[in-house]
Amino acid sequence: MASVKLTKVKKIYDNKVVAVHDFDLEIKDKEFVVFVGPSGCGKSTTLRMVAGLEDISEGTVEIDGEVVNDLQPKDRGIAMVFQNYALYPHMTVYDNIAFSLRLSKTPEDVVYEKVTKAAEVLGITEYLTRKPRALSGGQRQRVAIGRAMVRDSKVFLMDEPLSNLDAKLRNQMRAEIILLRQKLNTTFIYVTHDQTEAMTLGDRIVIMKDGYIMQVGTPAEVFDMPNNLFVAGFIGAPQMNFINTELLCENGKYYVTPFGVKLPVEGEKAELLAKKNVKSGKIVLGVRPEHITLAKGNEAAIPCSLLVNEMMGSELHLHVSTEDETALIVRVPTINLSTEERSSLVNGHKLSVTFEGKAMHFFDPNTEANLLV
Amino acid sequence: MMNTNQAPAKRHMGLKALNRASNTVIYTLLVLISIIWLIPFVFIVFQSFRVESTWQVGYVIPKQWGFDNYIRLWNTDFKKWYLNTFIIAVAAAGLQTIIVLCMSYTLSRFRFKLRGPLMRFMLILGMFPGMLTMIILYRVLSDLGLTQSNAVPGLILVTVASSGMGYYVSKGFFDTISKSLDEAARVDGATRLQVLYKIILPLAKPIVIYTILTGFMGPWGDFVFARYVAMGTSSGYNVAVGMYSWLTNDQISSYYTTFCAGGVIVALPVTILFMCLQKYYVEGVTGGAVKG
Repeated sequence: MASVKLTKVKKIYDNKVVAVHDFDLEIKDKEFVVFVGPSGCGKSTTLRMVAGLEDISEGTVEIDGEVVNDLQPKDRGIAMVFQNYALYPHMTVYDNIAFSLRLSKTPEDVVYEKVTKAAEVLGITEYLTRKPRALSGGQRQRVAIGRAMVRDSKVFLMDEPLSNLDAKLRNQMRAEIILLRQKLNTTFIYVTHDQTEAMTLGDRIVIMKDGYIMQVGTPAEVFDMPNNLFVAGFIGAPQMNFINTELLCENGKYYVTPFGVKLPVEGEKAELLAKKNVKSGKIVLGVRPEHITLAKGNEAAIPCSLLVNEMMGSELHLHVSTEDETALIVRVPTINLSTEERSSLVNGHKLSVTFEGKAMHFFDPNTEANLLV
Repeated sequence: MMNTNQAPAKRHMGLKALNRASNTVIYTLLVLISIIWLIPFVFIVFQSFRVESTWQVGYVIPKQWGFDNYIRLWNTDFKKWYLNTFIIAVAAAGLQTIIVLCMSYTLSRFRFKLRGPLMRFMLILGMFPGMLTMIILYRVLSDLGLTQSNAVPGLILVTVASSGMGYYVSKGFFDTISKSLDEAARVDGATRLQVLYKIILPLAKPIVIYTILTGFMGPWGDFVFARYVAMGTSSGYNVAVGMYSWLTNDQISSYYTTFCAGGVIVALPVTILFMCLQKYYVEGVTGGAVKG
């Protein structure tokens, strides 16, 4: 249970490649922070610098107010779960979990108590005498978590712990990690490349790209008000549609003109544009697939033709192409469609789509920054 | 119709018969080779139990059996030579194993300046025949007073001193053990040394055994350098050198069967070692360590 503070942390590899640039972040006590980004963005490197497995080239890392730059991993009060589990193959599950306790010369009865308790919480009691090779992927991951749990550490680090599991198990383990977090009540830093994990687990999300922090915020913040095009595209699935178009300011009212169709900007977004005094000009318009609807006849709408219809169960993902061959993705809840409508949605089908002014995002085409931030 | 039905069945039978025939040929050949390979060993064992003559005879199976030759060994310098060899081999195997494993772990896990050049340099150095260094090594040992009757520590020193260069096999094995195991152990509170002996070595058991065995075998069968360092002083001989002294023209007639008995005694510990440890050569232990 401790705060973690990273100040201007930099990682420069021997070949002069800079993996992490001036990373500044303060993680509060008992907070669950997720580092998310595409591979090679420096998220794991940053985590490993906190763990002490990677040298810190510049800057400082503080855990609980103490600078830990020159401390060995074992002296930093951390526990870590690795992507490939990293279980000791020659030891039983019990010995794996007990390893750190025995290294710290804990009396054997305390070891027994702690290990059996952790095993109970994780539901692996019956496997305690097995070797890791006799376990399934999900069970191994539980052992790895158990090994980290018994350390009573100040900070719990997890490096893509679920990415080796299949999709179904991953969803299940994700829920278990949320429960575990409530039980452990400690500070978590979690690294993932999966935005769903980031959104569902994190109190705050740190979105990274090429060693830079793109945005830090709560899941709602990064989803509703992405700092820039990268964050907008990374958070949310399927990803946000981007349309190169123009913003018009006429008599204090704002309009966008995607594909020659004039749509008004409404609600908070219009107020914010006015407050920021944004002028007419070229912009990148962002609209999430779930905010695009099929036009019902009379409103201003963008004509397009259907390329691919993905049936997801409760919703359809329609990949459509506009007249100038821009690809868009539309999420349509199936419950709003009649059987007739659904069966008409075949490839090549002509349809028209529209979206509301309150669901728009506006980005500068040059700096890629959100015009409203 | 009948023909097409029978044809596949016939071919199937043919394949089976062919398999059996080729297996028969292979096994016959293997049995023959092992018999030929075993002949000298059987021959030596038989000679060592022969009591009717200490000289070479024209037949293999002794006419009179007995332990006379083995008893006679006790009354020669053989005990001293055997002890010398044993001390050298055990000390060399122990020290060499420690040095090689530490060296391999370092080269496998640590990244430091000149690591690459150092490895290449040692590889090239290892390509020169050891004989080239014999004369200068003798001079050095002689200056240190480690020749002749002090040959035992001298030989240990020479064997152990260059052992770090034999890191190649074990480093290759350590490289296959996932580094995240090291990292997990270090986060769990282990020092680098604890990582080595609690995690890496148990996983690398086959390679540890291999290192011990090769470390033992080298000095155990050493002849050329041991003879050179001992320089004719019997108390500094190892078994190979000592027993060779029985094969000179004036000795061979009375020591030939004793020589054979000595050979059997020398082969014993190595045979036992191999029989006990051979299972580790095939044991794969890393299964389940990390997701494959």
